[in-house]
Amino acid sequence: MNRKSLLSILLGLLVIFALALAACGGTTTTQEEPAVVEEPTVAEPAVEEPAATEEPAAEEPAATEEPAATEEPAAEEPAAETEADPNALPRNETLYNNGQQWGAVVGWNPYSNSNNNAMAIAQQDNARVIMFETPYLYNMLDGQVYPLLADGPYEWNDARTELTFKIKPAAHWNDGTPVTAEDVAYTWATHIKYNTPTGAANIDFIEDIVAVDAQTVTIKAKLNEDGAAVNPLLVAAYVSTNYVIQKAWTETLEERVAGDATALLADTAEDVAYSGPYGKYFADDSKVIYVRDDNYWGQDASMWGKLPVPKYLAHTIFKDNAAGTTALQAGEVDVSQQFNANVQDLWLVDGLPISTYLPDAPYGIGASLPTAFFNLNSPGLDQVAVRKAIAMAVDYPTIIANAMTNQSATFDQVPRSLMNPTAGEQATYDHEAVADLQWVGNDIDGANAMLDEAGIVDTDGDGIREYNGENLSYIALCPNGWSDWQAAIEVVAAAGEKIGIEITTNFPEWSVYQTVVTKSDAPLPEDYDIFMMWSDGAGPTQPWGRIRKLMSSEFIGMASNWNGNWGQYSNPDADALINAIPGMTDPAALNEAYTELVRIYLTDVPSFTLMYRPQSFHTVNESVWTNFPHDGDGTEPPVPPLNLTDGWSIAGLYNLELVNP
Amino acid sequence: MKHTLRQVFRSGKFVTGFIIFSAILLTVIFYPMIIRDDPLQIIGQGTFFPPGIYVNIADSMSSTRYILNLDDAAAKRIASKLNDADREAIREWLVGAGIPEGDIDIANTESLLGLWVSNYDTTVRIPGMTNADRNYYIRLNRSLDGLLSEEGVTIAATNPDTNALEATGTVELTEYANIREVANVRILPLGTDNFGRDVLTQLVTATGVSLRIGFVAGLIATLIGLVLGLVSGYIGGVVDDVILFITNLFTVIPGFILLVLISFSIGQEQRGAFVIAVVIGLTSWVWTTRAVRAQVISLRNRDHVNLSKLSGHSIAHIIIRDVLPYIASYVIMAFILQISSAILAEAALSILGLGPRTTDVPTLGLMMNWALIYQAHILGKWWAYLPIILVIALIAFSLNLMNTGLDQVFNPALRD
Amino acid sequence: MKGYRRYFANKLIWFFITLVVAFILNFTLPRLMPGDPVAAIVSRMAQGMSNATGVQAIYEQYTELFGINRPIHEQFFIYVSNALRGDFGYSISQYPRTVADVIRSSIFWTIGLQLPAIIVGWILGNALGALAAYRRGTFDRVLLPASLFVSSIPAFGMAVILLVIFGVSLQWLPTSGGYGYDLIPNLSWNFIWSVIVHYQLPFWTLVLITIGGQAIGMRSMSIYELNADYVKYSRFMGIKDNQIVRYVFRNAMLPQITGLALALGTMVFGAVVAEVVFSYPGLGSTILTASLGQDYPLLSATTLIISIMVLVANFSIEIIYGFLDPRIKAAQAD
Repeated sequence: MNRKSLLSILLGLLVIFALALAACGGTTTTQEEPAVVEEPTVAEPAVEEPAATEEPAAEEPAATEEPAATEEPAAEEPAAETEADPNALPRNETLYNNGQQWGAVVGWNPYSNSNNNAMAIAQQDNARVIMFETPYLYNMLDGQVYPLLADGPYEWNDARTELTFKIKPAAHWNDGTPVTAEDVAYTWATHIKYNTPTGAANIDFIEDIVAVDAQTVTIKAKLNEDGAAVNPLLVAAYVSTNYVIQKAWTETLEERVAGDATALLADTAEDVAYSGPYGKYFADDSKVIYVRDDNYWGQDASMWGKLPVPKYLAHTIFKDNAAGTTALQAGEVDVSQQFNANVQDLWLVDGLPISTYLPDAPYGIGASLPTAFFNLNSPGLDQVAVRKAIAMAVDYPTIIANAMTNQSATFDQVPRSLMNPTAGEQATYDHEAVADLQWVGNDIDGANAMLDEAGIVDTDGDGIREYNGENLSYIALCPNGWSDWQAAIEVVAAAGEKIGIEITTNFPEWSVYQTVVTKSDAPLPEDYDIFMMWSDGAGPTQPWGRIRKLMSSEFIGMASNWNGNWGQYSNPDADALINAIPGMTDPAALNEAYTELVRIYLTDVPSFTLMYRPQSFHTVNESVWTNFPHDGDGTEPPVPPLNLTDGWSIAGLYNLELVNP
Repeated sequence: MKHTLRQVFRSGKFVTGFIIFSAILLTVIFYPMIIRDDPLQIIGQGTFFPPGIYVNIADSMSSTRYILNLDDAAAKRIASKLNDADREAIREWLVGAGIPEGDIDIANTESLLGLWVSNYDTTVRIPGMTNADRNYYIRLNRSLDGLLSEEGVTIAATNPDTNALEATGTVELTEYANIREVANVRILPLGTDNFGRDVLTQLVTATGVSLRIGFVAGLIATLIGLVLGLVSGYIGGVVDDVILFITNLFTVIPGFILLVLISFSIGQEQRGAFVIAVVIGLTSWVWTTRAVRAQVISLRNRDHVNLSKLSGHSIAHIIIRDVLPYIASYVIMAFILQISSAILAEAALSILGLGPRTTDVPTLGLMMNWALIYQAHILGKWWAYLPIILVIALIAFSLNLMNTGLDQVFNPALRD
Repeated sequence: MKGYRRYFANKLIWFFITLVVAFILNFTLPRLMPGDPVAAIVSRMAQGMSNATGVQAIYEQYTELFGINRPIHEQFFIYVSNALRGDFGYSISQYPRTVADVIRSSIFWTIGLQLPAIIVGWILGNALGALAAYRRGTFDRVLLPASLFVSSIPAFGMAVILLVIFGVSLQWLPTSGGYGYDLIPNLSWNFIWSVIVHYQLPFWTLVLITIGGQAIGMRSMSIYELNADYVKYSRFMGIKDNQIVRYVFRNAMLPQITGLALALGTMVFGAVVAEVVFSYPGLGSTILTASLGQDYPLLSATTLIISIMVLVANFSIEIIYGFLDPRIKAAQAD
């Protein structure tokens, strides 16, 4: 830290000095200006030259190494490095990202959720696995999990109470010691002992994780009164969601923090051991860089058979989307996971070598369903007719065209249900059975007729319908600054006017909004009538997990509800189905259950989907790298468009090629 | 009074500023009388439609058809779909696919397209071709379809009985419609914004709202500044110390941070345009106070003030009769400056997402904020942000210019 | 000399009183904002956690850690005793980073950008204003209004225009960051050059919007002085023009220096805009995110820094004034 601040001081002084020189030259007139503007024209070749001259030098070993990856590539690499400027990343060995990391990296601690280290640490359905690894990788495109640290598929015992898998013999940590079943068990024990977020999230479903022998791990599910697993679905999800952390390092950490849970979670863990292909290279307020571990175990034939192609993964920290898009245009970003409004202009208008997973709208694969929740306690909104009428009248094509700039499938293409547009989820319910319930929007006549039929009409002639003598007047909300949601909520409000319901908008600050919306132990306040929140994306427990969070009444009563059902909807039939699904294995029965849930959801309308949103946006610039995942790229299993860091999408890192090798 | 006015209008700077400002003001007043569209109505499905005249396609097909035989029509049609870069790209693809370079004449549209149509295949993988290139060729291929055709376009309708498409007519390539005869034509001089709203209509309304915000905020700031400055400067002593202390505090804790904190605290639901104006006014009186105080101190010991004191006039009387008139010109100038800085403050707040709520009224800052969020500036959608910057700059410029002009009139030393 | 001593003592007392009150306000104001900052941390922790007790435990743990469950005066005394030891606690939005760490890593960028920009803008503006006053003619008629127009462009407008012209269209200058996207900070020429190039757009944005206001002020002051009695008298006495001009501009400069000191405090917004539009590392956008994310500790500390900077600048100017301006001595003699 000290050296860094000294450097900043020196830098500051230098800059001031340089400016003082500039200023002295220009005090008398403003002639100085053109002189300074000219400088960069000189600068550009100067800056680029070293990079250009070093290209061949740095590249050659990389090229020779790739086919011979199973041999010993490590020896060759350092030799090349001594020639290059150690402070500049060679462009054709570095993959640049944007849109994941906003603000400086805080730490490297896989036990904590507060690292703000988006590229390396995210234990979720599509876990980021460049540094820490999960036993299995989830692939959102086919809904399957593939072994990473694990050796072969996992197995349930007959009662579905114990799940067993093996660790690959080749797997080892960056310090060379093998990854063992004991590491997996100790990771769990630590989560529980220090009540980490992961521990707290799983303790209701997992009894214990034990090492049977050095390679074999058994996860014991928590059992209910009947002796069956409480939730086998969530137990199975654990193996593709959570990292395996080294036992030896964990013990060092415990010693350092002397058993204090808060200190353990706040530790920045600069010394952490990891099993993944990349580790920390550099991080400051402007960027974070990960460097490949050329000793990575995954080059063993039992896994990838080679090393991932880029030597460095870098993420520049931008302060807003616009800056990120500008860098993408300039070729300073290869993989962009941020929302680039009107992304098609980048190739249609600017003619840049930029593309998305799909060549045309919606450009990506929708995975989550941004949803408008009804406050079911608001007068009038307790009536199904009012809720459904509003949902039917909304102009979804305008939401998709304007708020999402067409980066969402339309409800004509993917009829509304509880499932996301991926093929796997769409197949889980019977489309025919609920077809007459799936509205596409803009149905003003239908909405008006529905309200008239329910006897909710305008009796006093002010143009607004009444229910129980009171005007139907609502406030629609979403957090301030969440631009696409705000634009969507504006469109929702516009629909009200056409069906005699007054809807105004309000955009509170997120810090206020979140505390109100997540407080589920009391009815929502009156001025939160229709409000937007998210729903789950793609993952190994989906679509069950999403449905649970949209409809299950189990979250009512939580003081801090970060799961869902924020409108506090309660339906015993839905609850029963949601509870039954994790234990079900018969596909036909599952299909029936899901179809019934969709039917309930589209009939009761406790909330409604406004658009489809990708798991993560995925736009690539092919100036340097090519062969990114795209629709029809021939990969088997297909590599999902998730920025080559999360879940199975990391397979894409092994397929990259240079445009100009 | 008359004399001063004549003097004022003789100042070139003032007159220039006055003309610009009046032009803006008149536009704000009269434009809505002529064009009565709702400025916040979402008319476009899609974002950032470019400026231009929008002609309804169905209506133009049913309006009178005129046949014009223009020589360059075909060439223009081809050029719009196939520019030089496209021709070059076609050649590259053909060469990559193994066609001898000598066979390809990119100037000859017919032979080029012939080669293209007979050889192009989406599944062929040209070495070194990126996915972006592949997508480009697929798009190009789609747009070239039927480009050389001399046939007219067939219009078809679904037969309700058989559900089959039946031709109902054709549109020849030589047929034109007169734009004045088309029932639905919408002129969007500045296109649409990210919501699909008419930018010009919105801009005019927003300018009016911003001017009102500036006026209210300026009035509040000037009034507070004037009263505090007068009291502090004239009465002096402990009162002066206290007021000076408060003023110093406001200097030390930057007004802008206060503005952000207050705007944040009152929450978006409370933030109407008027409330924002009041908040801006309440946080920007410091400079006026300081300046008025300094002026009053220098006036305090003038002879006519002393005379008034000796005559036993009340403090209020002295301030109103003997002090105010001497600083009136100064206060007017301060007021003008306050208006322009309040307009900038509103814009700044909105840029940070703390401006007035969106659905009520457009303001210049809000329009700018949304244009930037949807990246109008880096995607080259100039119509969505440049006019807004210009209008803000012109308002501030005209006010500052008027102020400089006034300065010259009221301070004879500055006169040319 | 006695007058001076009283003048300084008086100023010093007010300096300390203002400092103390500013300190209290910097502590209190952010904490009066509605909303619950700990909920932000909890939301990060609790995503996907489905049991109520776990979330509640986390919530209580962090509420305790930041002490926001205590009465505000108690929080204040803890804050004071820690602050005196230089400990400003943890940042809430970037927990577990400390406030000191956040500020340390960004403050030099901000100062390196702001200070030279204010000074250069001030110098250019004053030079322009003085020339306009002295030369009149086309200078006054064309250049001054032109600089006035440029200064009327709002900060974000200027930033966007420069970005679009020099960054996106002409591609002469890099559009974001404090240094090259492919570099790691070090003391090589390559890196220093990169820093200088990245510096240009945010720097000129700030300079251009400063010039006009300074020029107008300087022009007025200079014209006042040019018409003052002492100038006429000097001319009458046959003192050389050059000599007179030097006197005039020195006198006109004095009030402008006060303006410079106060400008330090008002630059915050310019900093925010320049830093956000050009993704420049620095404190400006940190303040903004801190206020939107209700990061009390970070917000209090950063505003305190600004307050102290303005206060010290103000104080030193007043002290220097006391020496330079005979009128102040006269006032104290009353």
